[in-house]
Amino acid sequence: MFPKRLFSNAGFSFNLVPKNKPSVTSLHQCRVLHTTLSRKGLEEFFDDPKNWGEEKVKSGAAWTCQQLRNKSNEDLHKLWYVLLKERNMLLTLEQEAKRQILPMPSPERLEKVIESMDALDKVVQEREDAIRLLQTGQEKARPGAWRKDIFGRIIWHKFKQWPIPWYLNKRYNRKRFFAMPYVERFDRLRREKQARIQTRKKSLEKKKAKYLQEKFPHLSEAQKSSLV
Amino acid sequence: MEFSHIAPLPSAGGCRLDIGYPLYQLGNPQLRVFRTNFFIQMVRPGTVQPEDTVQFRIPMEMTRVDLRNYLERIYSVPVAAVRTRVQHGSNRKRDHRNVRVKKPDYKVAYVQLAHGQTFTFPDLFPEKKRSPSGEDSVQEELLEEQRKRQSRDPRRGGVPEWFGL
Repeated sequence: MFPKRLFSNAGFSFNLVPKNKPSVTSLHQCRVLHTTLSRKGLEEFFDDPKNWGEEKVKSGAAWTCQQLRNKSNEDLHKLWYVLLKERNMLLTLEQEAKRQILPMPSPERLEKVIESMDALDKVVQEREDAIRLLQTGQEKARPGAWRKDIFGRIIWHKFKQWPIPWYLNKRYNRKRFFAMPYVERFDRLRREKQARIQTRKKSLEKKKAKYLQEKFPHLSEAQKSSLV
Repeated sequence: MEFSHIAPLPSAGGCRLDIGYPLYQLGNPQLRVFRTNFFIQMVRPGTVQPEDTVQFRIPMEMTRVDLRNYLERIYSVPVAAVRTRVQHGSNRKRDHRNVRVKKPDYKVAYVQLAHGQTFTFPDLFPEKKRSPSGEDSVQEELLEEQRKRQSRDPRRGGVPEWFGL
């Protein structure tokens, strides 16, 4: 028996792992999902043997963020590993196809799996962010600070984990979070350049708006509001 | 860190992180990674390997211990031994601008299965005999008609058309 290819449009079912079953007391409130667990080991690196040699293999759409947000944490955890096995299988197939100099059947499956996994990761990060904000009020997982670097730029400096305090850290103390006075003119030049770019952008938008106003006076918003 | 109170399934290994793993100091709890970032692919061996050996391409950050845990916990494959090496991807080829093109480096792992199990890499692209399916039969009939129209004059005895007379 091979596990069903679990794409979002196909049926979705799981069995809880029989050994090392975690004690979940609130199980009666969740919808229990069932499937067969394939125990064939290395055969999970390959597709269903019926699909070997086919030119196309049908597959459903990728998981979207909204669909994944409706799933519980346990479901997402299990889905991650299902997608991981599917991705390993597709990578194996891709490599073998390159080796045999033959086209891989339906390479879009790999893209869909990668997209699903990225969406899952995004949903999990959102949940983690929410929990962290509620529990501690920290917006970012990794601490940091706005500092001026040696070039005079204001950057978001991300902190690293060290076993020693900063004043004993030779490598950290060699970094300079200040700019010498001779850097001021270069900072000024950089700011002037940015200002010129912004002004050019704004004047271009104004010019386009003026051109459209001249060409289509009847479509202007000022006229609409005056009519109302 | 990540839902440790909700999903206490044991970690199968680490993951690839841009910043590196969190710092460990004596007395810290065991680092648990809940969703591995490691993706491996099985490859057909280039040279003949013993029957119990399976060859994988694994990410550079993965160790043989990681791979053993990965296979044992995610795929329930009993592993006796793992050996790894890093394959250098060639940097010798040059493109039209004479700029060197690097093929990525990768790590190869040779896994020996336990309990006397053997494994041979299967043929994933067997030739299949196709009976004319309902969708393609019309196209195939058209192709056959075209071939009949373009067939050469049998009286020429296999001589091509571009010969005079």
